Amino acid sequence: MKRVIELYGRLRDAGHGAVVRAELPPRATARQTLAALRLVLGEDLAGCVLAATDCTLAPNDRVPAKGRLAVLPPVCGG
Amino acid sequence: MTRITKAPLDLARLCRATASPAHGASASFVGVVRAVHAGRRVKAVSYDCFVPLAEKELARIAAEARRRWPVTVAVEHRVGRLAVGEASVAIAAGSAHRAEAFEACRFVLEEIKHRLPVWKKEHYVRGDGRWLPGCSLKKARPA
Repeated sequence: MKRVIELYGRLRDAGHGAVVRAELPPRATARQTLAALRLVLGEDLAGCVLAATDCTLAPNDRVPAKGRLAVLPPVCGG
Repeated sequence: MTRITKAPLDLARLCRATASPAHGASASFVGVVRAVHAGRRVKAVSYDCFVPLAEKELARIAAEARRRWPVTVAVEHRVGRLAVGEASVAIAAGSAHRAEAFEACRFVLEEIKHRLPVWKKEHYVRGDGRWLPGCSLKKARPA
């Protein structure tokens, strides 16, 4: 299943733009999704988490079938 | 009252939103883009944000502050490119006494720094820029 995944922070400046498309296995976990993203981006995603529309996902959480997906690097608001 | 916004922040509005005749204290904090960081001259900072999650998380942080202290809290975080001197975050806390207003204000700011999906890129006077390092959300996942 092809999913659009939004990029933020330093990942946007890595030459991939604001979104990438990644092929995910059915009922993929967040860990599997981040592994797929590493291949697509060619980036070290240490410290990054996967987020659905309004929550972050633990490594073993299933990726929701609908809604937004984003990969979030370490944050520094304020 | 919590909000992620591209518009300039208005602390007075947040203070009014947290005001009450029962309050004897109003504490506030404004974070501002500064001109020098780590020895580099800064001309602007761009704030990137995953808005749907940030709006939820900001509301959760304010709710946690209200559970911990008898306070009313209002907080806004700005996104987009901000020049030196512009406010990036504004927090107001109103309460009967000063201690809980100060503590709630500090709590909200520290939680924002560790939990809000916001990233900042400094733009330097020399023309280059860099994304600042931050805190992994792995450590801050809400229950």
